Amino acid sequence: MLRTFAYVRPASVSEALKQIEGRGAHIHAGGTDLVGCLRDGVFEASTIVSLAKIDELRGIAVAPDGELRLGALATIAEIASHAAVVEKFAALSQAASLVASPQLRNQGTIGGNLCQRPRCWYFRGDYACTRKGGDTCYALAGENQYHGIFGGGACVIVHPSDMAPALIALDAKVRIVGPKGARVIPLEQFYVLPEKDATRETVLEPGEMVLGVIVPAPPAGQKSGYRKVRARGSWDFAMAGLAHAVTMKAGRVAGARLVLSGVAPAPWRLPAVEKLLVGQKLDPALIARAAAAAVAGAAPLGHNGYKVPLVRGLIEEVLGGIPPV
Amino acid sequence: MKDDELYFWNGPLPETQAPAPGPVPEPWDETTVVGKPVIRIDAYDRVSGSAQYPSDVRLADMLHAAVLSCPHAHAMVRKVDTSAAEKMPGVRAILKDGDVGTNVPWFAGRGGFSSRLFDPHCRYQGDEVAVVAADTIYQAWDAVRAIKVDYEVLPQVTSVADALKPGAPAVRDGGNAIPPGKPYVRGDVEAGFTSADVVIEHTFTTPCELQNAMELHGCVAKWDGPRLTIWESTQGVFGVQTGVARALNIPLANIRVIGHYMGGGFGAKLSAGKYSVLAPLLARKTGRPVRLFLSREQVCLSMGNRPANTITLKAGVKKDGSLVALQSKTVGSGGAYSEGGTGSVDFVIRELYACPNVQCENANVFTHAGPERPFRAPGHPQGAWALEIMLDALAVKIGMDPIALRLKNVTLVSQTRSGNPKYTSTGFADCLTKGAEAFGWAAARARKPAPSHIRRGVGVAGGMWQGGGGSPPATAIVKLFADGSANLNMGASDIGCGTKTWGAQIVAEELGVPMDRISVEHADTGTTQFATPSGGSKTVPTESPAIRSAAIEVKQQLYAMAAEQLKLPATDLELRGSEVVSKSDATKKVALGQIQAFGRRGLLVGIGYRVPNPPGSVVNPFGVQFAEVEVNTKTGEIKVLRFLAAHDSGRVLNPKMFHNQLIGGITMGIGFGLTEDRVMDDRQLGKLLTVSLHDYKMPTALDAPADKTMVIVDPQDRAFSNTGAKGVGEPATIPTAPAIANAVFNATGLRLTDAPMSPARVLSAIAGQKPAPAGQKRGE
Amino acid sequence: MDHEERDKPAAAAGGVSRRGFITSVGSGAIGVAAASALVQGAPPQAQAEAVKAGDVSPVALTVNGRTHKLLVEARWSLLHVLRDHLGLTGTKVGCERGECGACTVLIDGKARYACMTLAVEADGHDITTVEGLMSGEELGPTQRAFAEEDAFQCGYCTPGQVMAAEGLLRANPSPDLDQIRHGMAGNICRCGAYAHIFKAVAKAADLKRQGR
Repeated sequence: MLRTFAYVRPASVSEALKQIEGRGAHIHAGGTDLVGCLRDGVFEASTIVSLAKIDELRGIAVAPDGELRLGALATIAEIASHAAVVEKFAALSQAASLVASPQLRNQGTIGGNLCQRPRCWYFRGDYACTRKGGDTCYALAGENQYHGIFGGGACVIVHPSDMAPALIALDAKVRIVGPKGARVIPLEQFYVLPEKDATRETVLEPGEMVLGVIVPAPPAGQKSGYRKVRARGSWDFAMAGLAHAVTMKAGRVAGARLVLSGVAPAPWRLPAVEKLLVGQKLDPALIARAAAAAVAGAAPLGHNGYKVPLVRGLIEEVLGGIPPV
Repeated sequence: MKDDELYFWNGPLPETQAPAPGPVPEPWDETTVVGKPVIRIDAYDRVSGSAQYPSDVRLADMLHAAVLSCPHAHAMVRKVDTSAAEKMPGVRAILKDGDVGTNVPWFAGRGGFSSRLFDPHCRYQGDEVAVVAADTIYQAWDAVRAIKVDYEVLPQVTSVADALKPGAPAVRDGGNAIPPGKPYVRGDVEAGFTSADVVIEHTFTTPCELQNAMELHGCVAKWDGPRLTIWESTQGVFGVQTGVARALNIPLANIRVIGHYMGGGFGAKLSAGKYSVLAPLLARKTGRPVRLFLSREQVCLSMGNRPANTITLKAGVKKDGSLVALQSKTVGSGGAYSEGGTGSVDFVIRELYACPNVQCENANVFTHAGPERPFRAPGHPQGAWALEIMLDALAVKIGMDPIALRLKNVTLVSQTRSGNPKYTSTGFADCLTKGAEAFGWAAARARKPAPSHIRRGVGVAGGMWQGGGGSPPATAIVKLFADGSANLNMGASDIGCGTKTWGAQIVAEELGVPMDRISVEHADTGTTQFATPSGGSKTVPTESPAIRSAAIEVKQQLYAMAAEQLKLPATDLELRGSEVVSKSDATKKVALGQIQAFGRRGLLVGIGYRVPNPPGSVVNPFGVQFAEVEVNTKTGEIKVLRFLAAHDSGRVLNPKMFHNQLIGGITMGIGFGLTEDRVMDDRQLGKLLTVSLHDYKMPTALDAPADKTMVIVDPQDRAFSNTGAKGVGEPATIPTAPAIANAVFNATGLRLTDAPMSPARVLSAIAGQKPAPAGQKRGE
Repeated sequence: MDHEERDKPAAAAGGVSRRGFITSVGSGAIGVAAASALVQGAPPQAQAEAVKAGDVSPVALTVNGRTHKLLVEARWSLLHVLRDHLGLTGTKVGCERGECGACTVLIDGKARYACMTLAVEADGHDITTVEGLMSGEELGPTQRAFAEEDAFQCGYCTPGQVMAAEGLLRANPSPDLDQIRHGMAGNICRCGAYAHIFKAVAKAADLKRQGR
């Protein structure tokens, strides 16, 4: 049962910012990650700041130019079923439908999903690991079948979000606000690799919070999608997943954004693969080269070597499924 | 443990009372209620949410308790400081080692080993250290967290391989390798292998599985003077009663254990737990009722598991398909407190198929892990995993259809029981042939693969369960009221198998009472008759004949009374609906309500006892399951498309509930074969990593196919009991995982021998990264 | 033996009806909560939003159409309040971390886990539990469908399954098998009755369409 905490429900973003400045203050958006972290004692939470009263953070809107605007409190279920998302941003609605379970999708928010903490069982368990400020990464020598093959170092977590890779494939930006003001940055730059700082996943400074996400109108003819591979058909986080946004013109790849989930501490974009594809016909030979390029530089651990053929297989399957015209 | 010992009951069984021998009733011929898909009589309670499970019991002034579990895999408790916890809001009592009442022995073992409730020598993460009772559950956990314990953390060993290495930390005095019993030997396996045309050896591994029933483990305890009432989530109230009486040293008559509804057990709730003793101790100390239920994390840690096994199996076969030799070596660990790491794994290997030369050895090992508890068909899914995959490999090698190979080796007698008694019936051959036909086996096997990276295949596996024939003791009482309504009283729990419903169906069949005029009282040591815990697929075969006997005894009393009133011999009378009618002259009859002696008596009581099965034979259920799967060779994902289960469990009392057992067993087998795996941090701190229901992966609605059909094979075996019904709960999950593995081979040519077959393992096999086990030839 | 005889609670015989429990427990809830606030030494908060750790604050929970005014600690889950303060034990405890579905309720008509919902966050919202699907003592159509299709074994996950089905059908009155399986994917049935559960959801859709 949860330990005790103070609880405050600010009525506006500016009030919320004052509240989250304090040490031990944690945001309650949907609560689907927060409650689990509190139960496991992952961090101390002396004050919970609920966003429930801040209506300006809700909602999904489509601008006349086709830009999609998600409020931080838009739920995963709302995003998954929104008509415009389903029609124009398939990667996003597919990713959203694959998150967790129906009940958690009704409760969880996009803001919370992007900021969720990792699922590493050492991080969530009673271990003073590197990410929690200790000096040992227990996954390195331990049970790392679900850990990363890219971007690790002092810590080898994988980022658990499905929404983030899909949004990055769609070239999304995230709106942030804090004591020093507001900023908008590409979502691709929102995440932090362990080589820079192994104790946090995002660039959010103390006292900052996510206001929402902006997704530009997709280029004409863009096909996008999200494919997730996991042990069970529900609840499970990705063993690996692939978000794609590919535009074909006259039988050749005009644009490609490919982002992996489940393989690195941040959503893992594949610029080398994208470069290989642009300007080419999507034939089996190219796809095979793309698959090989996707895993170049992979550094599997003792028990997650299967993620290398898995990533190759994902690239082959997803690219092989894109209509070549 | 010997094969026919009841694993769900510790100690000697009570002597059964048997009535004087009398006429054995004819088997039912045409039935009107038995054998029909009647809706459960407690369906309303369960779907409305009004069924009161033990974890729902709320008593005035009730306290809530929480257990402090040792966080280390191996440690000595040097000091327990409860001073801060005692002062916290709402805390009413704390118990730790040395407090009054806590010196209760637990986990007895060889060489006089005994642990106790709060043994300061903690031998696995989860071993209990203290317990707190407080006004609210939140306060109880706050206090648990405030207890300061000085642990001397000791070196630990959680993997079997490490535990067997020289110099490994000793889990128990005398070392980690438990002295093995004598191997099972029949014939001469070396001669057998020499005579074989083909010999194959594989090493198989199966996961450690956690039962994880949906309702957590625990109880509510309340004293009224010297009398104790316990509401417990249990498979057997009489087992809890015995365990608590012994622990608290109070008379059985003063303990009432109530277990009407319970949220699943699968073997993990067959006997009293420490909570069954701690709650009464806290209740006695505080003078208030106490509710003690474990958390899900604690259930994962300490409420039982199916041990992981490594099984090396060598098989020899002749070109014509006759098995000539089977040799197995099984290794497993029951944790720190149980020696049952390999129990019954070799049963199907030495029993299911005719084979003259068999040798089976088992090696049990202590490790610093949670204690094993029986888990749905202990040992059998593991043994079937090895045996049924091996048969598939043999079939490939000799170019024989897997069904034909199994049919070639069907046996009508038990090979491992002394005297080789005959099975009273075995429908195994019919399960194979009728199942194959209903499944479309031949056409599916002949199908040409489509040019796709997604490959389809079908596989088959067989199984049998060592129990499932029923035996004494069981007592049932049927009461017929003067208005013709009835009550059934029996001790058996309903753990989800529909016990109350088929019990009422039997009463309805014998006495013509409509189902909605039958009430059932059960699972209450204070008010219902004795039954051993509901496990081992024993409840249908054990209780159904006792219930029928009780109903018949009521009927005989009715006939005697009606005979006197009608001045006809009792043998001329028959119960039709609510009238007793003369068989020779239908005009001579009397309505139940008009039988004067019955009206004066007010109530007729019939008592039925389970008598032993006929000597010199054995009763076992059999089953064969067929699976169709799709394997994505790029991602390693296995999708189960459909299943067919052909089972011989004798007479089926309710086909809808029977089908539910089959689909339930298949779902559990899908977990065994594809997703479930208890993971411990063997190389580092020895803690449990799969301590939640996300990380310990049980099948969801998207993992269990909708298409699961059944073929009921009823060998019309009516001699062994007056109902002819065998058990099905465990047979339902024995062949499932190997059927999937064999389907994966049919789809891809990959012979996976390690369960669960996660995408990781499939991809490793595809990439050829899995090293070949010793003796395995490629392509098998 | 040192303890006093206690007043016999309504539940002494172990066979108390739902209603018995609700009466015996519900009336105590506010008393208990208020008492603990007094013990804390702080008066219950007025309509201000900030609540100190350990203090209680007022919430209005509308459950099955009836609004309850309660004093709750911020850390209490909705599940705890429903079961231990309102006596509605139909909603079950399975894991308390959103990984099993046994505690599924509807919040504003949408399926949610009560264990993952802080009671304070449910303030002002409409909550439906399995008890709320009844009409008096009559089963609602979803419940009837589960009974008729034998869509349970031990029955412990059943209220959660029923509520998930109800939430699914309110959003999509005519789901196909695939949609049913996806809609029910947040509820574990360890007994493995899934195939019957799928049939029950389809039958419930039929019964609802027929207005039964």
